[in-house]
Amino acid sequence: MKYLLSLCFVFIAFNSFSQDFNYGSATHNDNDFDRKTIDSNANAVVLKEFGTARLQLDEATGRLVILFEYHVKIKIFNKEGFKHADVVIPTYKDDNIQEYVQDVNAVTHNYINENFVQTVMDRKALFTENRSKYQSLTKFTLPNIKEGSIIEYKYRIQSPLIFNFRSWYFQSDIPKLHSEYLAYIPANFNYNVSLRGFYKLTDQKAEVSRECLRLSGQALDCSKMTYIMKNVPAFIEEDYMTAASNFMSAMHFELAEEHMLNGSKKSYTKTWKDVDFDLVGDKKLGSQMKRKDVFKEIVPDLIKESPDDLSKAKAIYNYIKKQIKWNNYYGKYSEENIKNVIDSRSGNVADINLSLIAALSAANLDAEAVILSTRENGLVNKLYPVITDFNYVVAKVNIGEKSYLLDATEPLLPFGLLPLRCINDQGRVINLKKPSYWIDLKADQKSTTSFVLNGKLNAEGKIIGNLSTTYFGYAAFNKRREIKKFNSVDEYFEKVDERLNKTKISNHKISAVDSVEKPLVEVFDVEFSAHDGTSKSQFYISPFIVSRIAKNPFNLNDRTYPIDMGAASDERIVINIELPEKLNLQEKPKDMAIGLPNNGGRYLLQTNLTDTQFSVNQMLQLNKAIYGAEEYLYLKEFYSKIIQNQKTDVLLKASN
Amino acid sequence: MKRIILPLLLLLNTVFCLAQDNYDVDLIPANLRPRANAIIRNQETLVDMKAVDNVMYSVKQAITVFNKNGENSARLVLFYDKNTAIKSIKGEVYNEVGKLMGKFSQSDFRDESAVQDFSLFEDSRIKHFLPSVNTYPYTVVYNYEIRFKQNLIIPDWTPKPANDVAVEKSTYTFICKPAEVLRIKAQHLANAEETADEKQKTYTWKANNLPAVKAEPYSPLKHFYQTSVKIAPQQFSYFKHHGSYNNWQELGKWYYSELLKDRQALPVATVETIKDLVKNEKDDKAKAKKIYQFLQEKTRYISIQIGIGGFQPYSAADVDRLGYGDCKALVNYMQSLLAVVGIESYYCVVEAGTQKIDLDASYASMNQGNHVILCLPLKADTVWLECTNQKIPFGFLSDFTDDRTVLACTKDGGKLLRTPKLTTKANLQVRKADLVVDAQGNISGTLNTNFSGSQYDNRQNILYKPFTEQQKALQEDYNVNNIRFDKIEYQQYKDVNPQLTENLTVDIRNYATLNEGKMFFELNAFNIQNAVSDSKNRILPVYINRGFTDVDTVIYQLPENVIPFITPISKTFKTDFGTYESTATLNENKLIYYRKLSVNDGTYPASSYELFHKFMADVNVADHLKIILSLKK
Repeated sequence: MKYLLSLCFVFIAFNSFSQDFNYGSATHNDNDFDRKTIDSNANAVVLKEFGTARLQLDEATGRLVILFEYHVKIKIFNKEGFKHADVVIPTYKDDNIQEYVQDVNAVTHNYINENFVQTVMDRKALFTENRSKYQSLTKFTLPNIKEGSIIEYKYRIQSPLIFNFRSWYFQSDIPKLHSEYLAYIPANFNYNVSLRGFYKLTDQKAEVSRECLRLSGQALDCSKMTYIMKNVPAFIEEDYMTAASNFMSAMHFELAEEHMLNGSKKSYTKTWKDVDFDLVGDKKLGSQMKRKDVFKEIVPDLIKESPDDLSKAKAIYNYIKKQIKWNNYYGKYSEENIKNVIDSRSGNVADINLSLIAALSAANLDAEAVILSTRENGLVNKLYPVITDFNYVVAKVNIGEKSYLLDATEPLLPFGLLPLRCINDQGRVINLKKPSYWIDLKADQKSTTSFVLNGKLNAEGKIIGNLSTTYFGYAAFNKRREIKKFNSVDEYFEKVDERLNKTKISNHKISAVDSVEKPLVEVFDVEFSAHDGTSKSQFYISPFIVSRIAKNPFNLNDRTYPIDMGAASDERIVINIELPEKLNLQEKPKDMAIGLPNNGGRYLLQTNLTDTQFSVNQMLQLNKAIYGAEEYLYLKEFYSKIIQNQKTDVLLKASN
Repeated sequence: MKRIILPLLLLLNTVFCLAQDNYDVDLIPANLRPRANAIIRNQETLVDMKAVDNVMYSVKQAITVFNKNGENSARLVLFYDKNTAIKSIKGEVYNEVGKLMGKFSQSDFRDESAVQDFSLFEDSRIKHFLPSVNTYPYTVVYNYEIRFKQNLIIPDWTPKPANDVAVEKSTYTFICKPAEVLRIKAQHLANAEETADEKQKTYTWKANNLPAVKAEPYSPLKHFYQTSVKIAPQQFSYFKHHGSYNNWQELGKWYYSELLKDRQALPVATVETIKDLVKNEKDDKAKAKKIYQFLQEKTRYISIQIGIGGFQPYSAADVDRLGYGDCKALVNYMQSLLAVVGIESYYCVVEAGTQKIDLDASYASMNQGNHVILCLPLKADTVWLECTNQKIPFGFLSDFTDDRTVLACTKDGGKLLRTPKLTTKANLQVRKADLVVDAQGNISGTLNTNFSGSQYDNRQNILYKPFTEQQKALQEDYNVNNIRFDKIEYQQYKDVNPQLTENLTVDIRNYATLNEGKMFFELNAFNIQNAVSDSKNRILPVYINRGFTDVDTVIYQLPENVIPFITPISKTFKTDFGTYESTATLNENKLIYYRKLSVNDGTYPASSYELFHKFMADVNVADHLKIILSLKK
């Protein structure tokens, strides 16, 4: 009896320590679970998922670490769901610190002949892959997976990265029945906690857990926070979407302050004022912005022929673009100091753009830094500073009343245009002397394309003419990138010619490929069949011979998330065809003028015949960079109407 | 006059001496500049086979990069693993005029694991490096030395790494002991210079002045036309396994006896299960089919490659316990299961992929083939099994391994066999649509399609998706504005010659356009053949990897408000590459559109590309044919 009692006691103690479910057993409820109750299309479902994170002193290093324990049970319904039995746990490492994965246990439960048969995963099935300098992958796969298997695994991660505590994702690519997270936060630590995504917590609880952590012999109490979400649908990505993390339901943490045992307080992120102070003083950010000295010899030479500040800024921007090559790494912090960057001629985003700021300052221009989060990195928290949200930095130069945002990582960008990856809501301007502030990161220019085709229709039904295309803004940037993929402009046109199946092109010319400040103009002669020439008295021709919309980009029936196009766009098409003789316009597509609600965009079409001049004018504008999910069906219908109309031809008839 | 020439000549001579290491871009011959994004100025590859388990592989390479596109060729990527040690790497970067800009060494290289996406684990790693230079052109010079602790796989020498790279000068030198027996296969190359003394023999090949060329669509694989030298030593060592071979027969024998044999023991319980499973089946084929089903239910594909495990399968007992394995392990397991009931089968090495690549009958070597399948030489017919796919029908290889030469590793030695071909006739897609057009131009009805041969797989990515995802994927595939599917249904007929049927209920708003008293629509709503891009100044033959046949019949029931009259349409094109036929006829108020397109596989002369291009363009135009009907007044 006594024995039983103590056993009970142990059990209860364990239970109050954590409400984790028992490892290693499957129930009939698990086995009989009908996916129809949550999502009849699911290939696998998380039955239960439980995580605990706590701060602990690592005896070996004397450092505080996060101890994160994870335990999950997943039901696999079909072969498509087998991939959930292959698990990858990424962990961070660098020269100084490392995260460790420990105590991985996994078991497969199969219900065979009215019995649960368990197959425990071998140590042999566990691998650690040293992926790169900064990442390790712990990988394992579960044995004996069949349709209907229940898999269960648990592991522990010890991480020295205490700043973000440990984020918890309630949502993943399969539905979850029950997802529960328990965070033990010591009373002397203050974390800012935020819930992202579309779904609300089903339940949350705050309790006190006594003496959960001992530091320097002193016992500390913890807030024991429980967050529960039930019946969470799978997250499904859609086209034209920014980072999935903006929309996926998850709990995020950021260390705000730490109360030291001696009574002092260490603030991590509290107000922008504190952050400004830290960033301006940071060796990898503010200090690098200040290094005018690196450029004091080069800059006077660069700007000696510049009459005004704007042309000085342009000269310096062009110099940095040419001088330093981007190593394809993002970052708001410089990896090297910028002196080395100038010597090695290579660096990450911060190396390059902080160099640019220092160089602009060396020319006595008013330059600031703008830290931001790229589109795939998600949105930043605007309620309070969450410095780890930012992953990129660009320069801002103020000249007179105007200011320009500059990114010198892409040689093909013109002055004042940011790459699309940076166009993501707002960034924070960091000034060496003044308080920081928010700035809109909007596409400064539209993606604009304008086509002009002048040609003659001959008696055989061929149109011979000249097509001139002008690209501005992002359209020019993208086109330049495409052309640069070829060794020479001739080879580019050779490809264009081979790609256009029904059109022959010749006498191509292109201007301003390398003068990125100017619009890009592409001109060539074209020759193609408009009709087969068998009937001279009456024939159909299509007026939509340039940039015809073949496919509706919004073809689906519904939409959950906003539609993010990056930048507004504008396309104009002007076609003038000289006819071989006077003809009558017997039939033609209806002239159109349609728009999207709230001035979201419009499309105009006009066809005309005067004498022997046949002309077509089209304009397609999309005025917004981001459309709400509720606007999807308008966009769909808008494009559908255009496509519908573009199916009609013009019937020309000889006047008898 | 003479006096002046002499010093000049002398001067030239000195310059030439310096030019050995002069990377001034002006020295590049003008004929090697067109289309080149980079040029190999000089490459010297030296393989010194000191012993079967000690092969030194050293490369000195100078490559000039003309622009950003050429950078891929300048990046140095070296693989290494337990059998391959990088002894040294160093290099220099030179600017346009050949002035030294900087040096680099092994510490500048990034080190990463080389695990491929489909693998759970592999033990190979890579080191890679690309100098950061923003001004083109520049030249990078690499010197590196690698030691192989094996000689079973000597890297093939292919002096021209890519289409857009020209080669000024490249040499390959192979050194070994005089007694070594080598098999050498050199392609598009003059014979080697050979020298020999009592200590060693040396072979040297040279490839100079190879220009950059443009990529050509529908061309044969590089293997067939590139300059290359392949070497296979007779005596070899690999992860402590030794052996010798001169041909496929001997290599297959070694493979069988060293790597496969004795890995087939099964637990008694499994043996009993298998015996029980087939006890009511009379013939071997039916037994094999049941066992294959057992395999597909029990196992899944997980790739793990460590050391000799790159060639040697996990034991059958391991697979039996874990329920997973890679291609080798699963084939070995299946072979063990079949052996329980006395069915003989062959472990077959194959180069898998939709592009057909044969194992070279005239040259046996271990670095051919990337996959393993199973062959059952049954009395009545031969059955081939793909063991890594849990959904594929029994006996069907699909276009992943069809129609190619494979190596069967048997106890009697290696045998070259050929997998069955999926023919133009068999790769069939037959579609029948029954549609009603209403007065507003909306159409609706049923769309039934039967896929077979290589086309059986056309819907594999859609088949198992949930309805909403199927809806999306089909909207992509059919690519008709406003198309919607109210019913999506699939039936699979799993057989050696499998078939898949797709039954759709379809609805397309505003398919036909009404304008000025007329109704227009494109007759071929669902199957438009894309044209192929032109290929001017064609050099390589035209190669069509696999043929197919599509047959479409679409019946449009016309609405009351149109006048049921059309001028019948009939288009026919016949060429060596294929045939096309389309007709439109009217039967009362039913407009019947019929289309048949066959494209034949094969290799055709380079000069015929124009005809091929024209044929596909004609088909594309005919596929866009519009019908114009007058509305009743």
